[in-house]
Formats: sequence, C-alpha cells, structure tokens
Amino acid sequence: MKEWFSSPFFGIVLCVLTFRIGVLVQSRVKTPIANPLLIAIVLTAAFLIAFKIPYEDFNIGGQVISALLVPATAALAVSIYNQKKILKEYFIPAVGGCLVGSATAVVSILLMCRAFGLDDTLTASLLPKSVTMPIAVGISEQIGGHASITIAAVIVTGVFGAVFSPLLVKLFRIKDSVTTGISIGTSSHIGGTTAAIAMGETEGAMSSIAIGIAGLITTVISIFL
Amino acid sequence: MKFLWQIGIILAACFIGEGISMLLPFPFPASVIAMLVLLAALAVRVIKPEKLHESSHFLMSNMSFLFVPSGVGIITIFDSIRGSIIPLLAVCILSTIITFAATSFTVRLLVRLQRRLSKGREVEQ
Repeated sequence: MKEWFSSPFFGIVLCVLTFRIGVLVQSRVKTPIANPLLIAIVLTAAFLIAFKIPYEDFNIGGQVISALLVPATAALAVSIYNQKKILKEYFIPAVGGCLVGSATAVVSILLMCRAFGLDDTLTASLLPKSVTMPIAVGISEQIGGHASITIAAVIVTGVFGAVFSPLLVKLFRIKDSVTTGISIGTSSHIGGTTAAIAMGETEGAMSSIAIGIAGLITTVISIFL
Repeated sequence: MKFLWQIGIILAACFIGEGISMLLPFPFPASVIAMLVLLAALAVRVIKPEKLHESSHFLMSNMSFLFVPSGVGIITIFDSIRGSIIPLLAVCILSTIITFAATSFTVRLLVRLQRRLSKGREVEQ
C-alpha cells in the first residue's frame, strides 16, 4: 500500500484536488486573503503529515507539475509583448520606477534581514519576493534560497498588495493612474495587480507591465549579490 | 495538433534558455532567459503572437497551481524556520510598503517631467 503513494499520479491528483478546493473557497468568500494557492499548500501539507506520507514520495508527481514552471515563465513574454503600445508611451516612467522600486526592495529586505538576524538562506529566499512567482523562485534558487520560503513570501506580499494597495494609494496621495499602476505592480506583482485592475484599465495595464520589468531588473540586480 | 505545436515552440524556447544559462559566466535563471528568447522572437516577428495565444493563455491562467508542489516543500524545513516567522512576515510587509513608496515617488517625478517636456515640444510646434 505504501508504494501506491509513490505513484506520480498521487502527487498530481492531490495538488489538483486541493487547488480546486482553494478556488471554490475563494469564490465563496471573495476575499484575497483566501488565496487558492495558500489553501492548496496548507491542505496538501496537512494531508501528507496526517497520513505520514514522505514529501519525496509526493514530489514524484510534484516534480511533473514544477517542471511546467519554466514554460509558464517563458509564456509571460506574450503578455509583455501584447502591452508594447502602452509601454512605448510610458517607457521612461515605467523603467525608471521599476528600477528604483526593485533596487529599494532588494536593499530594504537585505537591511531588515540583517537587523532581524535572519540567516543567509532566509535572506536569499526573501530577496526576490516582490517580483512575480516564477521569476522569484528562479532567482531564489540561483542565490542559495529555499524555493518554498520564497513562495510563501511571494504569497504574503501578493495578498498584502491585493488587500492594502488601495489604502497605500490614498496614504501616499497618488492621483495619477500611471503612477498607481507601476507602484502596485513593482511592489506586489500579480497579487496587487488584481486590485489595480479593479481601479481602472490604465492602472491594470501599467501594473502588469511593471511585473515584467521589475522581474527582469531584479534578476539583473541579483547577479551582483 | 495546433496546441501541441504551440507548446512545442514554448518548450523549445525553454531548452534554448537552459543552454544559454549554462554558457553564461554568472548565474541567471534559465526561465527568464527563455522568456527573453520568446520576447525577441515575437519582436522580430519570427513568431506571430496569435500563434502562441492558446498555449500561453493555458500556462498563465494556471500559473499559481504550478507552485503547489514547491510550496508544500516548506514542510521539509518548517522546523528550522519556526522561530523566524514573525521577522519573516515583518520583512515581507514592511519592504512592500517601502518599495511602493519609492516607486510611486520616482514615477510621479518622471511622469511630470515627461509631460512637461512633451508640452514644451507642442509649444515649439
């Protein structure tokens, strides 16, 4: 019976099921805090612990899913390409904002991790947490972080952005939709972008563009770490 | 068949990306190189964006699902980070606010500058 759980289909089916539950829960309660990915991770982990199934057995199927992350990242090229018109119009503010924002993110995380006395693995896992998940995981693995911590940090950032971005816009008295979009996308990737899309078309488009640019800039910054 | 061909194109970009990543003298994620390869192919019109529509939509709309297995990996290291959860959360939230502030300040400045310059140009014309 034990080897049944080392079938690759076990891990895949468990992930599909728990993610489905996560999506259903979110559509019921309609709050960004009920993040489907977060719910799926917690349920899957609870299942493995409850039935004493080793992570290695689960991950035989898990690896099949994780392997698709590279093509999913590559596919971001299509969405960046589709926004080339609006990107051309606001190229300088978008690139300038993402550059300053991404550098600020990396430096502030580095300093705070030192201040809190977090070790190198944790610091490396947190550094790319403001950029989109596939790029963040790629960077984290390159600089010696742990993918699962990075994923948790990216989720926390995204959920925070989705809930609090409208408040930050008010707090910093931003009235311009280009500024709103780029600030949200650079600081809280796709999570915040859902809130930006709700604010308006330009906000949503600029936020999506910022995800791509901030991801690229942060990757380049991380070469020097 | 159309879908299979589209996936094939994206996977080919990934394979090229991994090759380039091995050749580079510094660490750079293969997935980001694959994205740049695909972006370049779209920009020089080797590939038409319509040709990737279904497959890229499929991959991106299911993106967050793909992180479930890696995310569950946290159970293998949970004991070692248990004591650091509060500082980890603090870093995530504070740095997001700081990043937001720095970005909005910069963009506001640049948008204002750009509008002033284009207005100046209109006056000249």
